[in-house]
Amino acid sequence: MANIAAQRIKREFKEVIKSEEVAKCAIKVELLNDSYTELKGEIAGPPDTPYEGGNFVLEIRVPETYPFNPPKVRFITKIWHPNISSVTGAICLDILKDQWAAAMTLRTVLLSLQALLSAAEPDDPQDAVVARQYKENLEMFKLTAKHWTNAYAGGPFVNTDCDEKIKRLIDMGIEEHQARVALSSYNWDLERATEQLFS
Amino acid sequence: MASSTEETIKDSTGDGAQNPETKEDEKKDDSMFECNICLDTARDAVVSMCGHLFCWPCLHQWLETRPNRQVCPVCKAAISKEKVVPLYGRGSTKQEDPREKVPPRPAGQRTEPEPGTNFSGFGFGDNSFHMSFGIGAFPFGFFTSTFNIGEPRPHAAPHGTQQHMEEQFLSKIFLWLAILFLTWLLMA
Repeated sequence: MANIAAQRIKREFKEVIKSEEVAKCAIKVELLNDSYTELKGEIAGPPDTPYEGGNFVLEIRVPETYPFNPPKVRFITKIWHPNISSVTGAICLDILKDQWAAAMTLRTVLLSLQALLSAAEPDDPQDAVVARQYKENLEMFKLTAKHWTNAYAGGPFVNTDCDEKIKRLIDMGIEEHQARVALSSYNWDLERATEQLFS
Repeated sequence: MASSTEETIKDSTGDGAQNPETKEDEKKDDSMFECNICLDTARDAVVSMCGHLFCWPCLHQWLETRPNRQVCPVCKAAISKEKVVPLYGRGSTKQEDPREKVPPRPAGQRTEPEPGTNFSGFGFGDNSFHMSFGIGAFPFGFFTSTFNIGEPRPHAAPHGTQQHMEEQFLSKIFLWLAILFLTWLLMA
């Protein structure tokens, strides 16, 4: 069984390398071991989204029963998105669960994730805090997502206001990521974030 | 003469030196016949009603993995084991059997052509199926049994003998049976 999985990953690996998306630097796959069970994926943030310019690293684990069961994928790069956990990077996407089909490949999975970044589904959230912000205050969500893309994925967008607020919390002895999460969760309201952190 | 034949064979098997164009064409052709699940050239090939090609062992395992949601792995159309068509290439009889655990791939379905002029009864198989009901050859049976036309029968046993007695007894029993049967028929 594992043989089919390894055979297929080998073939898919070649397919991804040859694909035009790789030529455009939109997706990338790397092997992490010789048994073809652990891979590292990378997707570029799609244009005209808060993720534009960012580069997101994914952890891909191929189960023994692949391709009859989907690969286990999560974001290693921290990301602010309604369908991706800002804490664990777990992804809520139907094709990685019950809508998986055996003819899907690493390439189609990566492209689907890229599409998920362009079209969030706040009604089927993975991260409730992000989803609420997306629904209640879309501009605030975009600002936060852009800031995260800059902080973790190498995005070009720099928001000095956000950075300053984080710096103030760091000065109070809070760890940077913790400060960013608190501020993001409270719509960059420094007072409420501080309150939450010290309560 | 012999050498030229050899060359032809070499060329047709693809072992000979070929220009890159032909090779690429061959590759394209190969991928046309790749299983959509294992991405290898399909063996024991079957095709779904939506037209997607799979190895039978691969498709079987896919259907086993999700018994409640039997969809085509490519287009997610509804599929079932019964509705896939096996592909028999030339020399397919030489193919080795599918893996032990896998049931043999479903057989092809042959429908007999419609017969031209015959009314084929209820359409069972080749020969039409006939049914008829009736009281078997009523008038003739009546005549033959009553008047004994043209039927040489053994003479009745002479009076007084043992055989005569038995025959009388039997005929009486049959007479009563017949009367009983008729009355039952009338009552019912």
